[in-house]
Amino acid sequence: MKVLAPLAVFGAVLVAMVALHGSATAPPALSAGADLGRPSGDPLRDARAAVRAAPGSADARALLGEAYVTRARATGDPSLYARADRVLSGALRRDPGNVAALVGAGTLAGLRHDFREQLRLGLAARRVAPKLARPYTVIADAQIELGQYADAALSIQRLVDLKPGLPAYARVSYYRELTGNPDGAVRAMRFAASAGGAPESLAYVQALTGNLELTRGRVAAARDAYMASLRTVPDFSDALEGLARVDAARGDLRGSAARLRRLAPNRPPARALAFLAELELGAGHDRAARRHLRAAAAQFARDRAGGGLPDAESVLFEANHGERGRAVRLGRRVWRAKPSIRSADALGWALTRAGRPREGLAWARRALRTESLDPMFRLHAGVAARRAGRGREAARQFALASKGEAALSPAAVRLLRRFKR
Amino acid sequence: MRKLLLALAALAASAIVVPFGISSSHREAPGISLDPSADNTDTYAWTAKDAPGALTVAANWIPGEVPANGPNFHSFDDRARYYVHIDNTGDGRPDVSYRFRFKTTVRNKESFLYALPGASGYRDPKLNVIQRYSLDRITYRGKRRRANVRTIARGLPVAPPNIGPKTFPNYDSFVNGAIRSLSDGTKVFVGQRDDPFFVDLGATFDGLNVRKLTGNQGEGKDDLSGYNVHSTVLQIPERLVTRNHRAVAGADAANAVVGVWSTTERRRLQVSGTSARRGRWVQVSRLGNPLVNEVVIPLGKKDQFNRTTPNRDAALYGKYVVKPELAAVLNALFDIGAPENDRTDIVQALLQGIPGLNQHKGASGPPAVDTIKLNLGVAPAEMEDRFGVIGGDTAGFPNGRRLSDDVVDIELQVVAGFLKDNKVPLGDGVDGNDKPFLSAFPYLAGPTSGFDSAPSTRTEPGHSPTPAGG
Repeated sequence: MKVLAPLAVFGAVLVAMVALHGSATAPPALSAGADLGRPSGDPLRDARAAVRAAPGSADARALLGEAYVTRARATGDPSLYARADRVLSGALRRDPGNVAALVGAGTLAGLRHDFREQLRLGLAARRVAPKLARPYTVIADAQIELGQYADAALSIQRLVDLKPGLPAYARVSYYRELTGNPDGAVRAMRFAASAGGAPESLAYVQALTGNLELTRGRVAAARDAYMASLRTVPDFSDALEGLARVDAARGDLRGSAARLRRLAPNRPPARALAFLAELELGAGHDRAARRHLRAAAAQFARDRAGGGLPDAESVLFEANHGERGRAVRLGRRVWRAKPSIRSADALGWALTRAGRPREGLAWARRALRTESLDPMFRLHAGVAARRAGRGREAARQFALASKGEAALSPAAVRLLRRFKR
Repeated sequence: MRKLLLALAALAASAIVVPFGISSSHREAPGISLDPSADNTDTYAWTAKDAPGALTVAANWIPGEVPANGPNFHSFDDRARYYVHIDNTGDGRPDVSYRFRFKTTVRNKESFLYALPGASGYRDPKLNVIQRYSLDRITYRGKRRRANVRTIARGLPVAPPNIGPKTFPNYDSFVNGAIRSLSDGTKVFVGQRDDPFFVDLGATFDGLNVRKLTGNQGEGKDDLSGYNVHSTVLQIPERLVTRNHRAVAGADAANAVVGVWSTTERRRLQVSGTSARRGRWVQVSRLGNPLVNEVVIPLGKKDQFNRTTPNRDAALYGKYVVKPELAAVLNALFDIGAPENDRTDIVQALLQGIPGLNQHKGASGPPAVDTIKLNLGVAPAEMEDRFGVIGGDTAGFPNGRRLSDDVVDIELQVVAGFLKDNKVPLGDGVDGNDKPFLSAFPYLAGPTSGFDSAPSTRTEPGHSPTPAGG
């Protein structure tokens, strides 16, 4: 009858052995009579079953660790990071060269913003499996966050040479965006969307295409991209947030706020809450604005509770809506952990807001070292330059920021317009 | 077995996809996960009963298509290229390749509907999205193997996904419209079909019932019933694929054996390129014999396997076949005495061809290459045996691969040592596809419609144990 246990090879432990398949080691010792059950559709439960069936198998543990990581990403529940960490460490204790566990642990480190650890693990995975594309995703992501852009370019090129497809194309796009090539970034993102993949991945790159179109000032194209994203995954929060930006860019601030309010109960990213708060402030709804700012602060705190380091976004939030001295301290901490252009921009802006525009300008220039056209970077650089008494430099930066005005938050737009006058 | 297993496993496992609602400012780039639009699921090559003078090939992509997947239905990627390769010398290099290139047009960009109700044909404006393809035939010349590309068809329609009876009251009109005969005598169909693969994947997770496990007596559940794939089906006159450009006179003819596999290519991009110029192509997927990629090739080598051509298989991956992990797993699970080392019998059955049956004539060695080797001179069997060659039916797998060949059972038994006199009646309990295959081109059953959205389940009726080899 159901013989099939042989097929079990492909199944649970089995999944571990064959699908993820680390080193070609002896088959994991199956505990006798282990009841793996049918695949339940719940990867976490299946992976747990795999670990029960083969408690000694590093592959099974790697599998479970990745399931935790995936779940943590999907739910934003940082308490899952600790579990993923335990399980993946267990896998690496049993088999230090397990590629799946190294990649899983590297991905997890990235989620917690520990990019040096992410890079270390990615390089270790590459040593074990030099012909495999996956480790390069971990390596490249870490290099980007650590500000090692030349190395990142090589890693991404290697990735796309080894395995063109959505993950590689999306990273090519990001690199081009960071280096001031938004047209090339959009082209690469079209390849990513055309290749497709898991619906969440596709919806994500479609939403990113929308963001890129906004920085190019193409509002209608951005809207099309966000709508495509919503057809892929209904209610995808990045795309809903994008549509709110489209509304705002078209001057429909009330529509934009209404859209974001509908998003607010579902724990949207802090960035979206801050955006909504700025809209409420602009409309004179101070109490609602304060409520959204508190929710945004709570969201940042939750992210850190999972063991994650703070990031540039929380620095900007503190600089714009919190306590300025704290923003500078936080900004320095973030810069030490991840010396990226994004961190440089955030620290520079914190300094400018704290009344130290000369220092702010020095950091803003560092943020522009890859010639990014990010309108927010340009705005921050312009404000710092103006306050530091460098009028011509400021005017140049404001002009560049204006081109991407559609991608800026309402408060940033107000700021830009005030300074340009 | 094939990619779907891997895909499902990976889904179950690790699909490192992309996050919802990430709150950090750094970019969450998607991890390497599934790439269904480039993913070869299965390749089949056989001589059809109604087309004895031709090579029939079916190559499938996009594993596990759920029929009700609107409004974005599955399709081939317009920016990828899809191949069927034929090796007529046995060296593992393509001698003739067929390349499919796709282009999708949307009639009304404002509508998100694939088609309006009642769409009746490719010219009907109610069909909003239409994918068309061009077919290139490629031959290779000289020592440097320069490709000679000839486009033999342009703008042919891809049969659309079967959305449901309201949208497509007469879906068959689309199918019939997608069956084309080309001027050189080749027949071609491209479109959505029922996944012809059958396997009880779920049973793999089922309790390890040791007493029954080595029986082959039905009762398995076809986990792929109700799922669709995208297929290309070719029926090519023998003279267009043989090494001397002539029809095959008989099973002993020097030109009788061809090796078949399919691949997918994607474009490489220049990371720091500022021009719109496009990069060269990179092979990202390939599939010859079922099981090889999924079970034989270890994770660290999978991407490389997908990039390489069969002529390098022996050097790069031979050791994984000679000492298959699956044999060790079968022994650990069931203690069936499967030989774990020196499995030259598997190498011969899958990679070299069986002498006197589907081994390339004149190939020295012969090289071990992962192609489906078919002797075009062997007449189709009157009564097909799902066990193919080990069941005494030499017109079936591994001499070619027919849609109905039970490759899961065959490969389990071969790995268990069937060819070394260790005949164990292994099987997955599923003996055939949930939908009957067609007796005429394009042979694969029609797709499950999106209207019948819940994938059906079919359980193989129980039967008395089938001995090893059927």
